[in-house]
Amino acid sequence: MQVGLLRPALALYAALFLLFLYGPMIVLAILSFQSQGGGPQFPIQEWSVYWYKHLLGLAETSRVSQLPVGDSLIRSLVLAFLTTVVSVTLGTMSAEAFRTRFKGSGPVFYLIILGMMVPGVLVGLGVALLSNFLDIGRAWWSTSFVLHVVYTFPFAFLVMLAIFNRFDRSVEEASLSLGVSPAQTFRRVTFPLIFPGVLSAMLFSFTLSYDEFSRTLFTAGADLTLPLAIYGTFSVEIYPNVFAFGVLTTLFSFTLLVIYGLLMKRFTRNKRFAGQEDA
Amino acid sequence: MLKLNGVTRRYGDIVALDGLDLIVPDDTYLSLLGASGSGKTTLLRLIAGYEEPNEGEVLLNGERLDGKPPHRRDIGFVFQNFALFPHLSVSDNVAFGLRYRESGAIESKAQIRERTEDALNLVGLDGFGHRGVGEISGGQRQRVALARTLVTEPRIVLLDEPLGALDANLRARMCDELRAIRERLKVSFLHVTGSETEALTMGDTVAVLADGKIAQVDDSSTLFSQPKNPAAARHLNAWNLLPGVVEGGALRTSVGLLPIVEQVADNTPVQLAVRFDEIGVCDPAQVPEAHDHFEATYVTGEFNGPTALSFFRTPDGELIQVVDHLSDSRLPDLKEGQAYALHFPPDAAVLFKGAA
Repeated sequence: MQVGLLRPALALYAALFLLFLYGPMIVLAILSFQSQGGGPQFPIQEWSVYWYKHLLGLAETSRVSQLPVGDSLIRSLVLAFLTTVVSVTLGTMSAEAFRTRFKGSGPVFYLIILGMMVPGVLVGLGVALLSNFLDIGRAWWSTSFVLHVVYTFPFAFLVMLAIFNRFDRSVEEASLSLGVSPAQTFRRVTFPLIFPGVLSAMLFSFTLSYDEFSRTLFTAGADLTLPLAIYGTFSVEIYPNVFAFGVLTTLFSFTLLVIYGLLMKRFTRNKRFAGQEDA
Repeated sequence: MLKLNGVTRRYGDIVALDGLDLIVPDDTYLSLLGASGSGKTTLLRLIAGYEEPNEGEVLLNGERLDGKPPHRRDIGFVFQNFALFPHLSVSDNVAFGLRYRESGAIESKAQIRERTEDALNLVGLDGFGHRGVGEISGGQRQRVALARTLVTEPRIVLLDEPLGALDANLRARMCDELRAIRERLKVSFLHVTGSETEALTMGDTVAVLADGKIAQVDDSSTLFSQPKNPAAARHLNAWNLLPGVVEGGALRTSVGLLPIVEQVADNTPVQLAVRFDEIGVCDPAQVPEAHDHFEATYVTGEFNGPTALSFFRTPDGELIQVVDHLSDSRLPDLKEGQAYALHFPPDAAVLFKGAA
């Protein structure tokens, strides 16, 4: 292709990409401001925040029942938080182990990665069958939690592996040579330096767990997580209150991203590896 | 006194250190000269405890060090890349060891501050404590690294090419300062370098590391003027080596027959060494009396400022270097491609027995 055409072609591609990425979200956001009488489609009858009020239980009773998100939202947040803590701890520890070659490190690496490769429906179904067989009750905080960790741990592990890959071991050795024990060295030197990576791993684990669907579907038992609860409402009839909820959760995610960005900025400004020359 | 006995370190089939013996006396500046890949960094890492030897022992004042974890060895290490803690300020870097060390950590904040300031003072960095380590120059980082190590009062300080990351004129200044600081503290420094000038300038004693062993340990001037073996001579980058075989009281080399002073049995393989600055150059017809000589073709010259280096090639391809001092020029005008006689007084030649 001619060089003159390449740039507009790429620009068009990028524009289409952005359109497909944000288009659905924008449509949802617009429709969430539909009035009480309008359905989940265009045209907008009248602009209103009725469905937001409805969602939060502030609207007068209507024939549309309120979205059952309250409890499931809390469950999902707690589950995502626990998953994040466990996955990032495990991920950091195993990435630390992989800094030195050990026997069987190759197979172990692929076994860890497998957790994010296998289809979620299959593992979900497998765990459901297994728990039935072993007569263990299924619940979001037990069977689902285990599966969420299995799923997010490889992501946290890969992030931390990348961080350790470009980590200069000599700062740890310098700390040891000053008489500081390995545990203190980790606490005072290694951890502060890998903290930006830990933040990224946390963000990954949290978002992956928060909207996990297929693995949770078969293992959550009677109490539903948020994605399952929302899916449940689809099977009846869709009202714009789902859209309103979508807008709110998106805002929540953006808030998380902003916090992440601010923390990253705070911990990486002018500091990272600034004390070393390129040897 | 640090003592290494028969220290061997292998990486797979590669032998980095091969039964090495070395003694670093108390209150000494010892520089260790070795080519890159000679295992000199490995040696320091073994002493510091970042790696363990396959065989042999490391003793400090008679106490076994090998097998001990690095943080219990009480040995200072200054890294080539300085390895400062990037997330801490200059004074926190220096105070790090005092605050967090396993044994003998200092609780009192005032005492830590005082010792940190003393250490920064010692390396000429008073007033820099509050700065981030990213906000100071290379030479200053080097000083911080040194202060951070010295403040914990290690029993010996290992320096791994500490001047390698500095530019030339800073390097010269740091050389003097390192020596001065060491003399004030009376602690031994073991300074590893690949540069022969640095090794000769810095060390009270210079050790040459070659083929995984110590080739020679001597004071700078003895080492420079009387290398004991070809390996030591080669590392000084100041000696021409001519391999040959003894034949009826003379030496048969690639450049012809050269007389030798010593009595050596026939057919002994030997190497004749002549220093760059002991060789004179003249027309083949005008060799000074009583000087030995051989012929070689002038290849090219290299101007280094106060000295100039001339390269000659013998008929069978051996490269010979001659140094001339600008203020005291001995060489005639040289033409490329022309043959000259290279001559030297017989007592300037050193004879090493054994094959090249």
